[in-house]
Amino acid sequence: MEKQLLMEDHIRKNKRDTVVICMLMIILLFSVIFAIGYILGLPPIFATAIGLPIALLYVGITFSFSVQSVIAAAKARPANPNNRNEKILIYKIEDMAIASGLPTPKVYVQDSKDINAFATGKKPEDSIICVTTGALELLNNEELEGVIGHEMSHIKNRDILVATVTVAVVGAIALLAEIALRSLLWGGGGRGKKGEGQIILLVIAIFFIILAPIFSRLVYLAISRRREYLADANGAYLTRNPEGLAKALEKIKADVIEQPRGSKTVAPLYIANPFKRALKNSIWSTHPPIDERIKRLRSM
Amino acid sequence: MIEWILGITILIIVLFLLFIFFGYYNRIIRLENRIDNSWAQIDVQLKRRSDLIPNLMETVKGYMKHEKETLENVTKARAGLMTAKTPQESITADNMLTGALKTLFAVAESYPDLKANQNFLNLQDELTNTENKIAYSRQHFNDTVLSFNNIVETIPGKWFAGFMNKKARDMLQIPDADRAVPKVAF
Repeated sequence: MEKQLLMEDHIRKNKRDTVVICMLMIILLFSVIFAIGYILGLPPIFATAIGLPIALLYVGITFSFSVQSVIAAAKARPANPNNRNEKILIYKIEDMAIASGLPTPKVYVQDSKDINAFATGKKPEDSIICVTTGALELLNNEELEGVIGHEMSHIKNRDILVATVTVAVVGAIALLAEIALRSLLWGGGGRGKKGEGQIILLVIAIFFIILAPIFSRLVYLAISRRREYLADANGAYLTRNPEGLAKALEKIKADVIEQPRGSKTVAPLYIANPFKRALKNSIWSTHPPIDERIKRLRSM
Repeated sequence: MIEWILGITILIIVLFLLFIFFGYYNRIIRLENRIDNSWAQIDVQLKRRSDLIPNLMETVKGYMKHEKETLENVTKARAGLMTAKTPQESITADNMLTGALKTLFAVAESYPDLKANQNFLNLQDELTNTENKIAYSRQHFNDTVLSFNNIVETIPGKWFAGFMNKKARDMLQIPDADRAVPKVAF
């Protein structure tokens, strides 16, 4: 009972966080548009009438395409059932879906030598689990099952909603910063004459450049370390075998990455950070140190 | 004035009790539906498994001419699965089938031609897959039964369950004898 209640609280908090992130994004965009209007000398009502629909539309689009943008950033493709490794992966994901009582997620594969996996989607009925080909080659059945159990728990706890939306929002902000910067460079290629429009663009670019890292921090908080421990524990409960995930994490730790693939914004979604193997425990790390996770799994 | 306060207090208490009752009623019904659904999941897998056996027999027959007993055991176990009536009977029968298949796959190791047969390999994968799925759906069934029983057997859920005439459900057990590793005779 108590565990059930805890889980419901956790799910509620995840939903609330998602709303907060979308609201922040709307306020941010709206204030930028409002500022442009103000600089151009437009009446506030006019700026509001234009700014609000644009901000709502933009966030709406980012929200509804968040899953696609994550999949695109990871360069993932649907699993091919004719390949034996990928067929076994599909079976394992079906197994874990049955064990957790959830609908089966879509199975995606990312071509990469790295051992990694992530789950994404807005709700459990419409979720995706993506595993790297490196993981399929290097992990045995028991270890793969441990990793899938961990991802399945993220889906069950609704961690994927807040994580996916935040990742998409950060991506969108990075894109805006880039657009502002590019048009600034393109516009500044002329005779060095600085018009009012360029100053506005400069302000916006700086604004977004400052904001992008702040939002990245938000992602790190969204996918807090507590969620990882919880997903480890729930995953072990699903497979009834904490040792499987512990061994998989050991392999991930020992694995030297030649060339990490995928974009940096997607990093917090993975089972282990593909860019830095966080061995130290810092406030900003997306994942708890692997050694600590292994230790906790072994003491279950 | 006193009557008013008393009346409102009683009304609040009654509403409160009603609210709790609805909560428990819905939770018990929801869990019961979940138990039925997870049994349906197991049933689907059991059906799939018994559908795969004739294919397997057809593939294996040509190679394993001298393993009559092993093949017969598999067929017998499948027949048991088809005639099982209660969930526990089905699980017991399925367990026998798992044992018989384990022997068959162990024996198959000594037939290199068979082991190279793509159809056989696919069937072996499929059967292992359904076996895992049955194990996991049984686990999920038992998890669900556990949360149902926890409500139905503790106070105050026990009172509501008594009122609704709901009793604790049985978990699916694996029979001890079948848990032992099956003997492999060559």
